[in-house]
Amino acid sequence: MSRKKSQKSKGSNSPSSCGIPPAKENGKVGSEAHTNGMVLSGRPSLSNSGEFYDIAFKVMLVGDSGVGKTCLLVRFKDGAFLAGSFISTVGIDFRNKVLNVDGVKVKLQIWDTAGQERFRSVTHAYYRDAHALLLLYDVTNKSSFDNIQAWLTEIHEYAQKDVVIMLLGNKVDSTHERVVKIEDGERLAKEYGVPFMETSAKSGLNVDLAFIAIAKELKHRSMKLPNEPKFKLHDYVKKEVKGSGCCKS
Amino acid sequence: MSQSEATISTGTLSLPENQDSQRSASPAPTLIQGTEPGASQDEAMFVHAQSYEDLTGEEEGAVPGSPGVEGAVESSSMEQISEDFSKLSTKLSSSDQETQNSEVRTDLGRRESIRSTGQEENEEGGLRALEAWYNHQKHVFVLSEAGKPIYSRYHSEEALSSISGVMMALVSFLETEKNAIRSIHADAYKVVFVRRSPLVLVSVSHTRQSEQEIAQELLYVYYQILSLLTGTQLHHLFQQRPSYDLRRLLSGSERITDSLLDLMDIDPSFLLGAVRCLPIVSGARDASSSCLQQAKAKSLVFSILMSRNQLISLVRRKEHYLHHIDLHLLFNLVTSSSSFKEGEAWTPVCLPKFNSSGFFHAHISYLSHDPELCLLLISTDREDFFTVSDCKRRIVERMEKRGCWGSLREALRSPFYSVAQVDIPELRHFLYKSKSSGLFTCPAMDVPYDTDEERRRLLALYQYLHSKAHCSSHHLTTIYHMGTNENILTWVTDAFELYVCFSPLATKSIATTGVSRLLRWIRKEEDRLFILSSPTY
Repeated sequence: MSRKKSQKSKGSNSPSSCGIPPAKENGKVGSEAHTNGMVLSGRPSLSNSGEFYDIAFKVMLVGDSGVGKTCLLVRFKDGAFLAGSFISTVGIDFRNKVLNVDGVKVKLQIWDTAGQERFRSVTHAYYRDAHALLLLYDVTNKSSFDNIQAWLTEIHEYAQKDVVIMLLGNKVDSTHERVVKIEDGERLAKEYGVPFMETSAKSGLNVDLAFIAIAKELKHRSMKLPNEPKFKLHDYVKKEVKGSGCCKS
Repeated sequence: MSQSEATISTGTLSLPENQDSQRSASPAPTLIQGTEPGASQDEAMFVHAQSYEDLTGEEEGAVPGSPGVEGAVESSSMEQISEDFSKLSTKLSSSDQETQNSEVRTDLGRRESIRSTGQEENEEGGLRALEAWYNHQKHVFVLSEAGKPIYSRYHSEEALSSISGVMMALVSFLETEKNAIRSIHADAYKVVFVRRSPLVLVSVSHTRQSEQEIAQELLYVYYQILSLLTGTQLHHLFQQRPSYDLRRLLSGSERITDSLLDLMDIDPSFLLGAVRCLPIVSGARDASSSCLQQAKAKSLVFSILMSRNQLISLVRRKEHYLHHIDLHLLFNLVTSSSSFKEGEAWTPVCLPKFNSSGFFHAHISYLSHDPELCLLLISTDREDFFTVSDCKRRIVERMEKRGCWGSLREALRSPFYSVAQVDIPELRHFLYKSKSSGLFTCPAMDVPYDTDEERRRLLALYQYLHSKAHCSSHHLTTIYHMGTNENILTWVTDAFELYVCFSPLATKSIATTGVSRLLRWIRKEEDRLFILSSPTY
């Protein structure tokens, strides 16, 4: 079902790519890339924003209302921080960003979801299309952390079995208001076997890393080269993650 | 005059005409009847029952405790209510000395009662905050039938629980008598109640609006809540748990209702019950309509192009019609949140006048930011995002290919024409609504109405004259209002509604000739000012 959907969406993109001369890595990508049924075009496609890409994935941002999903996305996409009043997302918001992962143009189609309860039914419908989920809580809000288990239950119910999940503790710039310790996050992540990091949309800490790690993992899964070592998301995250404050090096 | 009336009435649009003949469930005809002179037969002194029914006749039966006694509230019983009301509120205000010191304008007993709860805190800052809270012109509250607060326009939770208690006491007090409370008048204050089971909506205001108009605004708030939840879900929730706290489901959406209420204070669309069109050369409008028209999908019901609460074009499925209330709610949804400005949004939305039992799914995207141009695609299928998103892509492509942008951008740059274009001596501003099309037009509010305060004042005057013209007991077709700052001629016919604002120097004869010239001008410009065709997919 979901495969069909992504095929369809690809199909809608390809007409616009007809007149585009193939990019140089075309051959390499096209021939070896049919492992996972991911959206993968033989030649580079043109996304809605007019950028070329080789391969596309759907990433969804989920978590309680007000944990900073939209801010995280805006930081990643535009490098800016949405200061000022709190704007809650209505329904789902859909944006694209093309990343260069080891010479492959990876388009992330990012679904920014509303955390409010009344939108749950809409978000459920789009879970199963998602290749990766960024699950956020707010380190200054205990209940958003407590709800993570419920979110994970929901994810397991609606999302694909092999979906990539990453747990993010956001707003670590607010050191004084912090109520959820990094150890708590780590413990929970370990319990569920998902990679974890703390982020700050305000300072930009680990924001790009979160998306890049996801993109790398998805890219490796879908087009593994024969003699390439397996990409280990957990190790990569552990190696690259930066601490939020002075006490952690 | 009569000649110009005849010419205007021929300038009808096809959309609402079809609505009349084909979709009997559509409230458009009742709306016309309701606002039309002579339609109301109600005797109620304070609030005209028709004003409820003309908007939601079908739901009237659902109101418990008032079986068939709508409009039977006589003046004597209303006096009784006011009396009981003040008794009740004096009972509630326990400590009075401080109240008298700090409160000069205790013109309504209820305000005292609210104040007394504030005093319990004995907090200087809290008091000042409450002071500011009282001074708002129009409060709007939504309660559940169990008396739980659901929405308050100016928040202030601490004062809210006691207020909602009083309000529910009033509502149920009358219901035990198989009656229904409509409104309370105390000095300059009006307390208006609208009961839409399972919700109770209350407005406390000191404006010049009539009860009817306030009740209509409350109904808009009710529809706003329906558009977030659907009527089915709302009823279901309260059927299962009458004490349900609806704030949980509505959290994060208060701003949409806030914005709706703010918009109603400054936008005459709601007063007139009509939609404003962006003035644009008819060729350019047709071109953009045809771009919308050609990008169809199975699940697509409406394609709407809009800019800042003004309609540019609307394409619909052949058998479906959009109600202006639904369109107002959609406009407000789009303008109330900046979260739509980037990317493509996909959100469930219920169009309560179309069908209050289910959600549509709206694809919202801005085609341009400066000037603002927004595309709304309304689909029936929750899972159809990609198809609808592709429609958007096709629309944009086609618009580029056909070169629609130039003329559109030009029109968007000047969304209001200057009243000077009309070239009528002493003319300052006007509102003209074509009743059959449900569309209206008005020029920019130029000097002296270029400040926010003056704009509100003029709109308040229009509201006042609107209520005079539509008063249930003695409706008027023409009113000439002479004020120190301006003279306003109001003219309501079966075909149109016109409010023309002249400088205070204008005489009646200048005004009458001015009005016939204005009608001729509107007639001449009608294909630019209005949408004259109703394209379908």
